[in-house]
Amino acid sequence: MARDLAFLFPELLLGATAMLMIVAEMARAARLVLAIGLAGLALSTLLTLQVLNADTTVFGGTYRIDLIAGWAKLILLPGTGLALLMARSEIAGQAREGSVYALICLVTLGALMLAGGGDMMLLVLGVVLTGLGSFALVAFPRDDAATEAAMKYLVFGAVTGSVMIYGLTFWFGGAGSTLFSELGMLEGKNLIAMVGLIAVIVGLGYKAALVPFHFWAPDAYDGAPVSVAAYLSVITKAAAFFAFAQVLRDLPPATGWPLVLALISAATMTYGYLAALVQTNLVRLIAYSSVAQSGYFLMGVVALGVSPMAVPGIILFAAAYVAMNLGAFAIVMGAGQTLDDLTGLGRTRPWAGVAMVVFLLSLTGIPPLFGFVGKVYLFTGAVEAGFLWLVVIGILNSVLALGVYLRIVVPMYRSADAPVAWNPSALLAGVLIVTTLITLVMSVFAGIFPT
Amino acid sequence: MPLLTLATFLPILGGLALMALPVRSARVAHGISIGVTGLTFLITVVIWSRGIVAGDFAQVEEIAWIPAIGAAYRLGLDGLSLPLVLLTSLLFLASAVYSARIGERAASYVVLMLMLETASLGTFMALDGLLFYVFFEVSLVGMYFMIAGWGYEERQRAALMFFLYTLLGSLPLLLAIIGLYLGSGTFDMRAWIGAPPLTGLAAMLALIAMLITFAVKIPVFPVHTWLPAAHVQAPTAGSVILAGVMLKFGTYGLVRFALQMTPDAFAQAGQVILAFGVVAALYGAFAALAQSDLKKMIAYTSVNHMGYVVIGVAVAALSLDPEIRVIALDGATLQMVSHGLVTGALFFLVGMLQDRAHKRDMADFGGLLTRVPWLGWTFILAAFASLGLPGLAHFPAEFQIFLATLNAAPWAIVAILAIVVTAGLYLRAIAAVFLGPENESWAAMPDLDRREKLAVVPLLILTILVGVAPGWLIDMIHTTMASLSF
Repeated sequence: MARDLAFLFPELLLGATAMLMIVAEMARAARLVLAIGLAGLALSTLLTLQVLNADTTVFGGTYRIDLIAGWAKLILLPGTGLALLMARSEIAGQAREGSVYALICLVTLGALMLAGGGDMMLLVLGVVLTGLGSFALVAFPRDDAATEAAMKYLVFGAVTGSVMIYGLTFWFGGAGSTLFSELGMLEGKNLIAMVGLIAVIVGLGYKAALVPFHFWAPDAYDGAPVSVAAYLSVITKAAAFFAFAQVLRDLPPATGWPLVLALISAATMTYGYLAALVQTNLVRLIAYSSVAQSGYFLMGVVALGVSPMAVPGIILFAAAYVAMNLGAFAIVMGAGQTLDDLTGLGRTRPWAGVAMVVFLLSLTGIPPLFGFVGKVYLFTGAVEAGFLWLVVIGILNSVLALGVYLRIVVPMYRSADAPVAWNPSALLAGVLIVTTLITLVMSVFAGIFPT
Repeated sequence: MPLLTLATFLPILGGLALMALPVRSARVAHGISIGVTGLTFLITVVIWSRGIVAGDFAQVEEIAWIPAIGAAYRLGLDGLSLPLVLLTSLLFLASAVYSARIGERAASYVVLMLMLETASLGTFMALDGLLFYVFFEVSLVGMYFMIAGWGYEERQRAALMFFLYTLLGSLPLLLAIIGLYLGSGTFDMRAWIGAPPLTGLAAMLALIAMLITFAVKIPVFPVHTWLPAAHVQAPTAGSVILAGVMLKFGTYGLVRFALQMTPDAFAQAGQVILAFGVVAALYGAFAALAQSDLKKMIAYTSVNHMGYVVIGVAVAALSLDPEIRVIALDGATLQMVSHGLVTGALFFLVGMLQDRAHKRDMADFGGLLTRVPWLGWTFILAAFASLGLPGLAHFPAEFQIFLATLNAAPWAIVAILAIVVTAGLYLRAIAAVFLGPENESWAAMPDLDRREKLAVVPLLILTILVGVAPGWLIDMIHTTMASLSF
């Protein structure tokens, strides 16, 4: 018991931090809430380093302390810290400000459970915990758009969550256990395995915004504060893919699940970029681009169990994605939410322009940026798993991606008719510096990631 | 001293230093640009003096990068890459000298140029598949911003076309690199060359993927359509770098990757590749003949000249006689260098004409030779070189290529027709622009100034030197080609 708890220090600390934050919020001390949150996240990250190389389970196999869970913490906790800083610079001084910070930390706790869960019950718990907090975060502005977005998000979440729980009962019935490690028992019971798999795809696909479960994403991101959209687009999404990795690596591949996911992956990236091509609202544009990025993430899931590149690919791409997508949202926060707001930004604010170009090219997968290294891993894994056609589609979509992102870049270097609004707070500038540096130089240090 | 690394990264470091400077006037920017490219050129000359070895890569520099997947930072040189490295550092120096008059956002311009130089040198020196791809793609991004930012009227469209075309073109190479990695467990290009990891269908698929990439880059008909648009709209130095350096990525890759890493598949597909080369050479010449825009005309002659390189490489793969193979590859490699020198000079000269007249249609000029003798005679010299006159740089290269062709694949000798066409089109251009009755609108046109002479004359001196006494260059190339086993 003591041993098990020791392995859970990062999660326990984050939970305690969130509780403390709620207490501080009761005293309406928003800055204190933020300080507690940042300190808790930092300490929790440090504690993670202690268990990073462990490969074990706690509490009877229900919770995994392994490579995926360890790196998930190392990526999601600092990512949450950056999101908190972005939120602070956007909503400082507003009522209920501290609640946002507390909710963000609670959602991240749910995300860690998704990434570490080794049991169906924990998967459900993670989905519910991330979901409940997210609905409230989206509804924060309390205007019509936010309320509508939150309602859509909630209804969609409730339905997909129920479907997932329903389907998981099949797996429980077939395998005789709720542990993922027992899913091998489904060997030969293809129908049962398939029903459960579809349920998991529905539940996690909703979290990850996979086509066709993505409809909530553009509305939710658009209705929510930009910083919350940034947070949801990276942390809960990455968590969903870590969860995919935890669930599916024990499922016998004979059930044909890799092919199902490969088809969804192809549809997701293609649809995401096609839809992004026609957006003029930057938040919606990045929302659809995030949908497309989910398709690339899923390539790593497809290769699970076959290619040794799959798990490192998901981890690397998650790290890159968190940095570059947060960065792109940070620019949107500073400059404005429509394409026109960026006109001339690159000419008048060269550093902000360079940062945005770096994020967008990295999202496209242009070397030597971080996103490229992630994609190389994902592509290699998929080829090794025999999905060459999926990689070809991924490559064709990279060209589509370039079209999407150049729609942002080109006007940035046109001369502006109106003065460019660009007044980032010191916090936002800090977030931009960190995310730009990570996107720019991490490929040089890609060797530190697990393989 | 890791000179290769130094030469590769000195330009980008110069660019970063410029970005960090508080004063970024045009003067400071161009000063840094000329200083850094000059120093880089000197370093490459020292690298040249250190020499290469037969049968292997020389001066290898290696540092672990992602050890778990066998990717490392590896640089090295042989007789194929060293001439191109020297050409690259020379053309960037000449471009820096020429560009010194650019005042519009000079600092950003210089930073992009320096980034391009790092990417170009890295592409030729990389000995790691992943690293090669990184440099290869960075050059794309740099050129996109160069065309989009400093080009002419239709620059946005041309830049976008260039970027989309070549990105779509280069992604298949990534597939091939992944395939080679999965076949060998490393990204070390030396290992891929030493023992080609793919065989049969996998090798053929990898070859096709590589050919798509390099065909777009070279460019070969029918995937050349981005080239005239990009060249016409690019700023002059951009055109010089694009034609002089970046087209060589395609032919370099054709030898380094396609020929050396999938040799058997290449030999099987040899006739097809040869046919593409012949069509490109002929098509480029006839398309150039149809142009009245000088810049477009020179752009199309690039398609023609690079077609000869493709012919040379294909002949080398087809021939069973080792001597003929070496002659073909020597000629093809020399042709890359010659084309860089000659076409670089031609784009400079047309750019200089355009700086003065803001026009580049032949019909708008006439009788300029008496008005601007320096511009006129240098252009005539470069044009004669480009049409393959003996004693100038293209002749020894094309001679060797056709000699080998005649031996190994006689039918392909039809490509020699293109030389006649090129001769015709250059004579027509010279007559229209520099001879005949003088067009009075240009009575006040100034001749080349010192800066312009400094940019273009060294290229022409080398053109003559390579034409008259190509030995020093061919020996270097020959050292490697004679020991190639594929």
